[in-house]
This record gives sequence, C-alpha cells and structure tokens, in this order.
Amino acid sequence: MPEWRARVAAAFARRSLVPDADVVDELAQHAAAAFEAARAEGATDRDATDRVERLIATWCGDPAVALKRPRRRPAVTPPSDAGSAWSGLGQDVVYGLRLLRRQPGFAAVAVLTMALGIGATTTLFSVAYGVLMKPLPWPDADRLVRITETRQGKDPRVRGTMSNGPFHTWTAEHSTIEAIAGWISQPPVMLSAGSGEPTQVQILGVTPSLFTVLRARPLVGRLFVDDDADKSGATTPGGVVILSYGLWQEQFGGQPEAVGRVVQLNGKPFTVVGVMPKAFVFPDRDTRAWRAWVPPPVNLPNGAMAMTIFSAMARLRDGSTPEQATAEGTSRARSAPDPGMTAVALFGGNGPAEIRAVPAVIQMTADVRPALLILLAAVALLLVTATANVASLQLARAAARRREIAIRAAIGAGTGRLTRQLVIENALFGLAGGAAGVALAVALHRALPALLPADFPRVDAIGIDWRVLSFAAATALGASVVCGLAPAWQARRVDLVEALSEDGSAPVGHGVRVRTARARALIMAGQMAVSCVLLVGAALLVRSFVALVRADRGYDPANLLTARVALPQDYSIERRVAFLAGVADRLRALPGVREAAYGNALPLLTSGGFRGFKMRSPADPSNEIEVNTIQRAVGPEYFRALGLKLEAGRAFTPQDTMTAPNVVIVNRSFASKYLGARPLGVSIPNMGMCRGDRDGWEVVGIVADMRQGSVSDPPQPELFLPAPQVGCANAISQAVFVVRTAGEPLPLAAELRTLVRSQEPLLAVDSILTMEERVMKTLAKPRLYAVILAGFALFAVAIAGVGLFGVLSYSVAQRSREIGVRTALGARPSDIVQLVVRQVAIVAGGGIAVGMAIAFAASKSLTTVLYGVAPQDPISFVAVAALLLVVSAVAAIVPARRAARVDPWQVLR
Amino acid sequence: MASTLLERELKRGSAEVLILALLEQRQRHGYEIGRLIDERSDGAITFHVASLYPTLYRLEDKGLIEGRWVERSGQRRRRYYRLTAAGRKVLASQRNIWDQFFAALNRVARIRHA
Repeated sequence: MPEWRARVAAAFARRSLVPDADVVDELAQHAAAAFEAARAEGATDRDATDRVERLIATWCGDPAVALKRPRRRPAVTPPSDAGSAWSGLGQDVVYGLRLLRRQPGFAAVAVLTMALGIGATTTLFSVAYGVLMKPLPWPDADRLVRITETRQGKDPRVRGTMSNGPFHTWTAEHSTIEAIAGWISQPPVMLSAGSGEPTQVQILGVTPSLFTVLRARPLVGRLFVDDDADKSGATTPGGVVILSYGLWQEQFGGQPEAVGRVVQLNGKPFTVVGVMPKAFVFPDRDTRAWRAWVPPPVNLPNGAMAMTIFSAMARLRDGSTPEQATAEGTSRARSAPDPGMTAVALFGGNGPAEIRAVPAVIQMTADVRPALLILLAAVALLLVTATANVASLQLARAAARRREIAIRAAIGAGTGRLTRQLVIENALFGLAGGAAGVALAVALHRALPALLPADFPRVDAIGIDWRVLSFAAATALGASVVCGLAPAWQARRVDLVEALSEDGSAPVGHGVRVRTARARALIMAGQMAVSCVLLVGAALLVRSFVALVRADRGYDPANLLTARVALPQDYSIERRVAFLAGVADRLRALPGVREAAYGNALPLLTSGGFRGFKMRSPADPSNEIEVNTIQRAVGPEYFRALGLKLEAGRAFTPQDTMTAPNVVIVNRSFASKYLGARPLGVSIPNMGMCRGDRDGWEVVGIVADMRQGSVSDPPQPELFLPAPQVGCANAISQAVFVVRTAGEPLPLAAELRTLVRSQEPLLAVDSILTMEERVMKTLAKPRLYAVILAGFALFAVAIAGVGLFGVLSYSVAQRSREIGVRTALGARPSDIVQLVVRQVAIVAGGGIAVGMAIAFAASKSLTTVLYGVAPQDPISFVAVAALLLVVSAVAAIVPARRAARVDPWQVLR
Repeated sequence: MASTLLERELKRGSAEVLILALLEQRQRHGYEIGRLIDERSDGAITFHVASLYPTLYRLEDKGLIEGRWVERSGQRRRRYYRLTAAGRKVLASQRNIWDQFFAALNRVARIRHA
C-alpha cells in the first residue's frame, strides 16, 4: 500500500500549502481507507491508487482544508464502544433479533430443529435421570438393598426373589444390615367396607419389618408389629390391614375413625390398623392396601417342609457395603434348614444358597437400564445432528453475509466483537429453541404415563425439576455456542479486500465460499453418518420387535379371551371343578365361541405350580433322576382352546375323572429331558398331588412347548394333569378361563362376567384380556424402544435430507457460472447432472460408509435388547443404506435439474 | 443559477445536519462519516469528499463537534469526532427547522419527504 501521508503532504506542497500535521495525518488516514475500499470494489492496485490520488487532488483544491488548525490534544482513551467487554451487548441482541425478524423462514427452521433436538434430549434425560439416578423416595435410600437368592447360579422361578429359609436365619441374626423385609404379591381381592359396594383392590402381603426398612410412618393409626403377621405362611389374608391414602379416602372419606374398623377382604374380616400418607407408594401405585404377612418356616409344625419365594429388601447398617451384606447373607443362608427337593422345583437346583444384595434402585431398573442408556446415546446423536444442521445453516448464512461482516470489520469491529455478535445471534436461537424444547418436554411428560408401559419402573420419579431444566439450559447454551462458533470461525478468516471485492456470481475456485461449502459438506456427511447409525439401530429394534410378535409361543394368541378367578379357600376341589367345568360348558354354548376351557395356569399370567421329585429314568431304570417341572391342572379342552399342538398321543377327555386311571400329558421339553425315546405309556410316580398312594400317572400325550413368559426364555419341562384327578383343593387356588372365538373376542368379556356371577355371585373375574393383549403388554417396552429410536432416526434422516438438499442447491447456485461455461463449451445436460451426482456420491456415500462402519461397531451394544435378529443383521444394514441412497437421490433431484437448466446466456453476461 | 445556489445551500446545510446526526449515537472517524452519509442517503445526497473535512473543521471550530486522536494497540491512530453538548442542541433545533421546512414544502408543493 502506498505511503499516503507522504503523498498527501507532497500534494499540498505542490500548491504551496502547508496544512497542519494533524490534518495531513487525518487525510492520510482517509486516503488509506478509501484505497482499501476501492480495492474491495474490485479495482486493481493501480486503479485504486489513481482514484485516491484524484481524491487528494480535490482536497488540495479547497484551501479551507489547509487552514492552519490549532494543535489538538491526542486522546489516549479508546472509543467507548470498545470500553468494556459488555458494552454494546444490548445492541448485538437488538441486531440479532432484527436479523431473525428479517428471515422468519430461516429462524423458524433453526428454532424448530433446536426445539426438537433439545426437547427430545431433555425428555430422555429426565426419564433416565428420574429412573436410573434419582434416589428412591425413602430416607437414606442409598442404604436400601434388594436381596435375591440363587442356587448353583440358578435363579428362582420368579426372578429377583429369595426363599424363606435364608430370610429367617438372617432375620434372627444380622450385623451388616439393620433389618430385612419381604413382600409377596397376590391376586386382587374383593374389598367391602360396611355397606359399600365391594371393589376389587390390589393388596400386598408385607412383613412388619418392611416399614422399618423403608423408615415409613403412618398418617393415621399404627404400623404392623411382629405379632400381626400370620405365622402360618398362608398367602390368603387374615388379620390386620393398612390402607393407602387413596383407598382410605374412597372407603372412609378420610375419617380417622377408619382405624379399628373391620373390612372384608374376599369375605374375611380384617381390622384396619393404620393409613399411610399420600406419598407412600410401595411397590407401585396399583397396590392399595398392605396386610401383615410373614414367610412360613422351612419346617412346618406338622413335619412338612415349606419353601416360599418372595421379594425382599434390607437396610444396610451405616458403613456397611452391599458386598459385605452379600457375604453375610450368603453365610447365614447356608445355615438355613435344607428345603430338599422343593429347592430343585423352585430353583432348578439344590446347591448351597447364594445371597446377593444390590442397591435397590439398580435392581429395580436393571431391565430398562441398557435400553435407556442406548436411547440416551441415540438422543445425543440426534442433538448433535440438529445442532450441526443449524450450524450448517449459519455457515451458509455467514457466507451470504460476508459483505456485511467485512464492512463491520472495516469500520472497526474486532474479531471478538464479531464472534460475540454471531454467538449472540445463535444464543437467541438457542434461547428460543431451548424454550420451545422445554415446552415440548413438558408436553411429553404429560403424555409419559400413557406412553410408558405399565410395568416401567419408577414412572413416579420422572419429572421436570431444576436439574432437568438446568440440563436443558446447558444443552441449549452449548448448542448455540457451537452453532455460533462455526460461522465466527469462518468470519475470523474473512479477508476484507477479498470479501468486499468478490463478485456475488463469480465462479468459485477459491476463497471462503469453498471453505464454507467444504465445512457444510463435512457436516452433511456427518449427518448422513449419524442418520445411518440411528437408522440401523431403529431397523434392528423394529425387526427384533416384529420377531417378538411373530415368535412361535406354542399357542395361538389370536381370537382368545382369557380371564382369572380367585377361588375361596373353603371351596372343596369338587366344588371348584364343578364350577369351572360348568362355566366352561356354558361359555362353549355361546354363539361365536369355538372352544372354552379352564385350568390353573396361563402363559403371561400365572404359571401353575412347581414340582420337584425323583423317579427312575425310563431309559435306564437303574438310574434315579431328579425331575424338576412346572405342574398344571387343566380341563379337558384346555389344549384345543389354547391352540397348543398335540404332538403325540391323546388329549384329556371328560372321561378322565377321579375314578378313571391317572393320566398325565407332558410337553416336548419334559419328554425329551426325562422320558427318553418312548415317552408315551411311561408311568410317572406320585408327584405329591393329593391322591394318596395311588401311584403312577401314565403319560398319554405330548404337547408342544409353550412359552410362559418372554419368548427369549428357554422352554421349561411341563406336566399337565386332568383337573378332576388332582384331588386337593389347593392345587387349584386360582383358575383361568380360555375362550377361543370365531371373531373379535373382547365383546364376550361381559358375558363371561355375567356367567361367572350367575354361578358364584361372590366370585370376581379379574384380568379379562385377550391373549394378544397379554402378549403385546409384554412387548410394550421393546415396542416403545423401537418406536422412539425409529422416531429419532426418521427425524435425523429428515434433517439430513433437507440439509443435503440445501448444500446441493447452494453448490449449484454458486457454480452456476462454471456450469454455464461448461454448457457453452458443449457439455450436455446429462454431463451437468453428473456433476451434481458426483457431489452427492461423495457427501452421501462418504457419510453412509462412515455411518455403516460406526453402526457395525456400535450395534453390538444392542445385543441385550435384541431378539431373533443378529446385531449385524445384513437386511437391516442393506435396507438402511438403500433408504439413505434414495433419500439422497430425492434430495438431489431438484438441484440437479436446476443445474441442467442453467442458461449460459444468463449467467455469463 | 438560483436553483444551483439553493442546491448548494441545501447541501451545505443538510451535510452539517447529517454529520451531527451521525455523531449523535457514537463517535466516528472521517472516512466512516463520509461512507455512512453515502450509504444512508442511498446516494441521493452525493457528498463530495473534498468538502467533508472543511465541514468537519467548521463544525469543530463552532464547537459543535470535537475531534480527538485515538490510539489503539495494533491499529493506526485514528481521528474520531464526537458531538458536544452545543452540537446536540444545534442538532435538535436544526431537526426542527428541517421539519418545518419540509412541512412547508409539502403544503406548497405537495412534496412529501420520506
């Protein structure tokens, strides 16, 4: 750049004028700025110099300029706008708002993207925090541990439970824990208080120590004391009951006099001793009352042995660790009386007991933890994509605003100030997006109880509190800083002359436009990769869910109505069977009913009984084997009604009565595990059913294996007895009805209810559901996970598709001159389209390739939540790649057409 | 000829008001003032740069603005001008006069000023 001071001074000197040195300085300053501006407007060095020389000449022509000026004192204070880091902040905010108002479309897209990203992230964070991390709602909840028992590494029939032997020895003596408590669930009971209509309530049997362990206090009345518990170990009620706040309000209008009153539970009197506060929820909201219960001793007074499994929890002594409790529990359990074969039946093994103490919150949430963590990772990816999208938009905008930024820099805005302006603009997005995101999260929270499966743990703990709000704020802030820094980083590299001189329509072979395009292409490829990872995850979960729905459960869940009836204890077995068979016969006579049957077990509802016994192996009679099986009592039509396939032999008939020979039907697993090559006709010894010494039950049929719970659990050996032959009442304490219908089964529910009431007015039918509903209930979590991840994935793909469209359109627009030249030189439209296609191939192809590689590595983490589909399922991967290619192609169509239609006359003029 | 005279007077008067108005918010240097006048008036008032500094000096001599050299690290020293209290008063009264002038023009010739 020329030395302007000397030139100005020389120009005045030529006219014999001697201006004040200050004036020369000031004019030189002006000349330098004018020179820069001229260069910026595209003038060559020489033209610019000429222009400024002419300007200097005009100054010299006005002697007023050269008037002697009094010497002015120099200032050392900088202008006020640079005075403090905070000054001008308001201006920046106002300016940012004005920009947003001027581009409402851009602002809407950016805010919406941010809102969805932040809303989804905040919601998932609040769920993950509430469920996995928030302390349980009890005092010193971190000292609560769930106690579970295994034998030889085998879980009990009901996972996460312990048995009575270890419970009692540990209760009697303990050092690492303050107390241990147990509880056992039971079918709902009919409750009537005074004159009111009987209502069905869920009630829980709890040991008196439970309230000590939880450190809970009653609202009214008292808690249980040790003497309250029914020492007989019966699971049917007797004695005293504590009401939940809600039940107290409903039944007694919240009157304190309720304490001491007697209520009827299934027709038996119970005295209300207390009412719990409103906030007391244990173990879930469905439980509305608690009765005192204590597990039976292993050695019953009558010489029999009892083994019960139930849930248990303990409070660690201050300073004790779960590991110490585990060690103590195990050693105490080893001194418990040996329950013998019952342990085999309940645990599948009779080895030494192993006790485990696990922090309660971890145990409660164990089955949702992996999925929640996966979804949390997925939503983080989604947020990254959303943020990258806004950053990419900002980059494009910054490129378009280069002149503005350059001018701001030219009139004295420093890098810091420019960066701050850009970050503030984005903070406005972040603020708006964050606010909208929190609003979205609040809306989602309202819907959560309906969205989350009924058995989802700790739904009560999920909420929007200050932690969640700070998380949302931090997320919004972080996202906006990232979005603002990207263009600010570009602006940092703005070359003023270049920026101001650049021809808006010039072909670009260099400069910031290319850098911007590259940065955007990189972001784009990253978004493709993220979409790819999310889509693969979603595809795997969806395929896994479909596999779960389609899985062969052994029975046919379609068009099947099912219901449960709890039978009163004082009913004889004859009365029970007669009632059940009578209802089944009447059901069968209803129009639209194909088959109706009863039994004491139903998959996904109640498993019947467990039984362990010894018998001689049919294959090798010298060898005694331990049989460990599920045992059921069913009506003759049970198999046909369930659609359970008879593989060999015959089903039960109405002729299999008390007076007929004992017959038994086994399932495939039982036959192959215990009965050898020819199972039919094998005689199974007395299995402890109440048939006295009538030894020997002949195997007359083999049915297919049936999945009791999750389809991923291996099938268990099962054994079916004809209900009329079991002989003792407690073999059928609760019964199920299964009704196969020609059409939609649910309309029959009312008739089933009426039928039962007409037979036994005191009995309540409960859990009336179609079998398909039961199946879908168990699949609610996998479905939820699949739906959420699919939602995330589609959102990410939509962002990526729109983003790709934007990048391509931008690139076509900026290359229009180049395209015009090519067309003028004879390129055909197909050649031009190829230019765009190549760009798509690089951006989308690169992104997909990287995404596939990441997905391939990351899908292993899904193993625990997948069923029937491998984490590296080729179909999912291929489908995802194909989908993304289609999306890319669709995004490319319009820009490619636009490129092909570029008119060289238009762009080259 | 008369119209040229009026034009010159108008320009001269308007340039002074414009400069005062530009300095109302913050201090600026000469080049910036010249460019902003150009920009804000959309070129309608083409302001010859040669007359900018005489105008600035005249305003400074009248005590309506005050120029100061400002040195900032890493930058050439620049001369910034700011409005004085007297300048602020003049600006207010000038605005008033111009408003009345345009209103009068409007009444007479139905010229509207934007």
